[in-house]
Amino acid sequence: MSFFGFDPSMPPKQAQQHSKNNNNSETLDFEETYKGYGEYDQEEGDYLNEETFGGNVELGTDFDFGNGSNQQSQPQQQPSHEQAHRSYVQAASSGVQPTNLDANVDLKPMESLWSGNVNTSSPVPVQIPLQGQPQQQHVLSMEEIERQQRQMQQFNGAPGGPVTNGNNQNAQFMPPQGFMQGQYPGQFIPQQFPNMYHHPGPFYQQGPMAVPPPPPHVQQQSVPPQQVQQVQQQHVQQQHLPPSPQDQNVQTNNSHLPSPMLEHELGKSPQPILRQSQSPMPPTLQELAPQGQTSNQVPIQNQQQQQPSRQQQQRQPMPQQNRREPLSPEEQKRLQIRHAKVEKILKHAGLMTPRDKDFITRYQLSQIVTEDPYNEDFYFQVYKIIQRGGIVGESNKGLIARAYLEHSGHRLGGRYKRADIALQRMQSQVEKAVTVAKERPQKKNEDSLNAGNATGRDGVLGKVSTSMNSKAPRRQLTIPLSTSRSGSTLTDEDGELRRNSTAGALQEVAESLGNVDLNNKTRARRRSSYAFTSIDQNSVLTRSGGRKFVLSLIETVYEEVLELEANLRSGKEINNKELWSALHIDDEVYEVSPYISMLSFDKGVKIMPRIFNFLDKEQKLKLLQTFFSELSHLNIIIISSYKTNPTPTDAQLKKIDLFQTVFLKIIVSFLSNSSNFIEIMSLLLHLIKNNNVSFISTSKIGLNLITVLISRAALIRQDSNRSSVLSTPEISTWNEIYDKLFTALESKIANVFPPKEYIDTIIEVSQPKNVSPATCYYDQAYIWQFLASLALSGKLNHQRIIIDEVRDEIFGTITQAESLKEHLQQEVNSDSNNSTINSDEIMYRREKLYQDLNLFLNVMGLVSRDGEISELK
Amino acid sequence: MLFFSFFKTLVDQEVVVQLKNDIEIKGTLQSVDQFLNLKLDNISCTDEIKYPHLSSVRNIFIRGSTVRYVYLNKNMVDTNLLQDATRREAMSERK
Repeated sequence: MSFFGFDPSMPPKQAQQHSKNNNNSETLDFEETYKGYGEYDQEEGDYLNEETFGGNVELGTDFDFGNGSNQQSQPQQQPSHEQAHRSYVQAASSGVQPTNLDANVDLKPMESLWSGNVNTSSPVPVQIPLQGQPQQQHVLSMEEIERQQRQMQQFNGAPGGPVTNGNNQNAQFMPPQGFMQGQYPGQFIPQQFPNMYHHPGPFYQQGPMAVPPPPPHVQQQSVPPQQVQQVQQQHVQQQHLPPSPQDQNVQTNNSHLPSPMLEHELGKSPQPILRQSQSPMPPTLQELAPQGQTSNQVPIQNQQQQQPSRQQQQRQPMPQQNRREPLSPEEQKRLQIRHAKVEKILKHAGLMTPRDKDFITRYQLSQIVTEDPYNEDFYFQVYKIIQRGGIVGESNKGLIARAYLEHSGHRLGGRYKRADIALQRMQSQVEKAVTVAKERPQKKNEDSLNAGNATGRDGVLGKVSTSMNSKAPRRQLTIPLSTSRSGSTLTDEDGELRRNSTAGALQEVAESLGNVDLNNKTRARRRSSYAFTSIDQNSVLTRSGGRKFVLSLIETVYEEVLELEANLRSGKEINNKELWSALHIDDEVYEVSPYISMLSFDKGVKIMPRIFNFLDKEQKLKLLQTFFSELSHLNIIIISSYKTNPTPTDAQLKKIDLFQTVFLKIIVSFLSNSSNFIEIMSLLLHLIKNNNVSFISTSKIGLNLITVLISRAALIRQDSNRSSVLSTPEISTWNEIYDKLFTALESKIANVFPPKEYIDTIIEVSQPKNVSPATCYYDQAYIWQFLASLALSGKLNHQRIIIDEVRDEIFGTITQAESLKEHLQQEVNSDSNNSTINSDEIMYRREKLYQDLNLFLNVMGLVSRDGEISELK
Repeated sequence: MLFFSFFKTLVDQEVVVQLKNDIEIKGTLQSVDQFLNLKLDNISCTDEIKYPHLSSVRNIFIRGSTVRYVYLNKNMVDTNLLQDATRREAMSERK
């Protein structure tokens, strides 16, 4: 504090002295330590004590001590405070000539922080000439300053309130006290500082830049009060008034400026032009001159400007009346607590201007937003859509804005509770951030061009390395892509994989890298050792190009599908040529179509529905034809057949389930939606001609596929019986095909029922551990469905043969159902406690057995109930 | 951005974060940023006896680099989608 005009320009020196003294603590002579302090002539300012301590000033309860307390708690702000305070006294005293520049030198670097915001420092040129004016008649007393401050507070408290020129303040104007009580220390005082930082011109540059160096003491006398006011006004304007602070400054200073001088100054330096260009209000210069010419005009203008604020004042007369009444202790205490709180909250409030905040927000946002969310933020975007059930909700940017708003604590919209405005602003921030993000990749490329050295780029978040960032973090393992392929067969740890190194794999490798043949020797040896191929997956894979080839094909297909889906989302043209060629359906090079081998892998099965979305009908049909004609090679058929895989594992059963739910669904939907009778017949023909039907019928999947085809054909035939759409050649062709199918199955129909051991194995594998074996069973519904659809399409003699062949199974099922009943009764008799849980289950099973059986029997007009078969009525 | 994208979907879900100093913290994921810094709410330490100093803490900010592992509920992850996202990431890198 420098109430006594104590020269704060010395602090560095003093501090040095102090530290010196502290360091050389051996001999502390009082005279020495004190030496120098008392020699300042500021003592002469003693006569100002009265004014300083308010001897002739009215003592209110609202005196501003905020500055003082802030000063103590925030040493980094001290310099600016010091200046502000000193200026009060210096304004009145005439003999002091401190050089106040040094004291603030340490603040100068701050400027560089805001060097980007050239606009904000624009007041510099305006004030430089003005500061030189000798304006002693406008020295302000503490009272006046205080009054102005009060006024400022009023405007702080009243949103949107008008701005007055605090300089020529009318004495009769009294601000409503009510505002001061609540908001006094926090809202006004701290926010003053950023403006000081923000407008460094008058404070830090006045010395070196002042064009005509005025008598120093005069400058000191006249300028500081203005500065204080300017700061205050700028502050207010930034908050409430969009128009330029520069303009206001000019007015302020103008009010006591003789115009010739001003014009002289303006003409002298190029700076006014600069100011003009930066000012949002072009007419500043014109305003400038007339105002300055006669200072008499200024009060009028001031009064006009004060008009609205007076209205405000009238609206709140009560607080004003209470002004003189001292507060009760309770109220004071509450007020104190409140002040303390507000002070704490706002301790650092306003350190950054909204513009700074916007900048930081934008930079932070630019790290997380992207122009193409479906590309870079794929998982999140699609996940959210899936969660919402396919409905695209709020836009991505809106979401980010909302989320960010929430995190930044501005969701309430600040002081004016304008949450909508806050959101709007944040949204515009996001928009800007996206543009920033757009520019980033280019920079990255530039950097990568500048050799591999990871030269950092300075960002708001510190030094940002370009080679490594959140988008491309450092990798634990860097795998060179080029060499991975040549060693493919060698690096495979899986023994199974090695078996693939036969002709197909060789071919693939030769294709991919024609010049690398160093592994040929080992491959040849391996091929000889695995020359015999059984009916296992590997042989199939081998014949369709090798496991690696198939896997890479699947990945290619995935990529094509992803690409197509991205195009679909963005509304681009869809071209499935690449996808179709990746499927290798027409490819005759391989013994087994690679497409069939793709279905050996779960991921190959899972992608199928998405492939179907992008195929036209011809392609779908072609695909299914290939599928049905090579059904015997299909891994899933081999797995699900009890003949080739009598002891399926849990994983295999899951695979079967997956295939059933995914692929069968596609086929069914294709058949029922878009296929005609001939197409179905052709598919069936493909199946019969190229495959061992009786083998396929031993597998669950195979049987299901046949069932789907013939039941669909039967449905169409039934429909067309009424409308007689089918031509006679079509029907005769169908009969032919059916006969073929039946002949292939005849005498082996009973084989569709898996043997008991197989069923037991499946039950054992698939049953959950905590369920008793009695409740587990093998669902044979698919078999009865097959028999039913087979019988439905056949003639009477066909049906007779079917019944003959599966008679044992029919009666076996009836017996099983009846035994369940007995079992149930026994259990009820033996222990009545536990049976209730099981009895429902068993009853349900019994019902289901009859239901499944009746699927088939009903086709022939029969029904079985309670152990007997009767005619369906 | 894959992990960032992934963790964003876990916001408002309960996760257990294991730090590199072996502390395990259970809490509701509040937010995550591009450095995979995590904000957890309603936290509880799985080993209160060993790390009692966290028992009075309600929410916490965890610097991403100190995280060793995040335990998730299985059904919070759409594995098929994650596979696709991984493919997309790989595709965009190759470009």
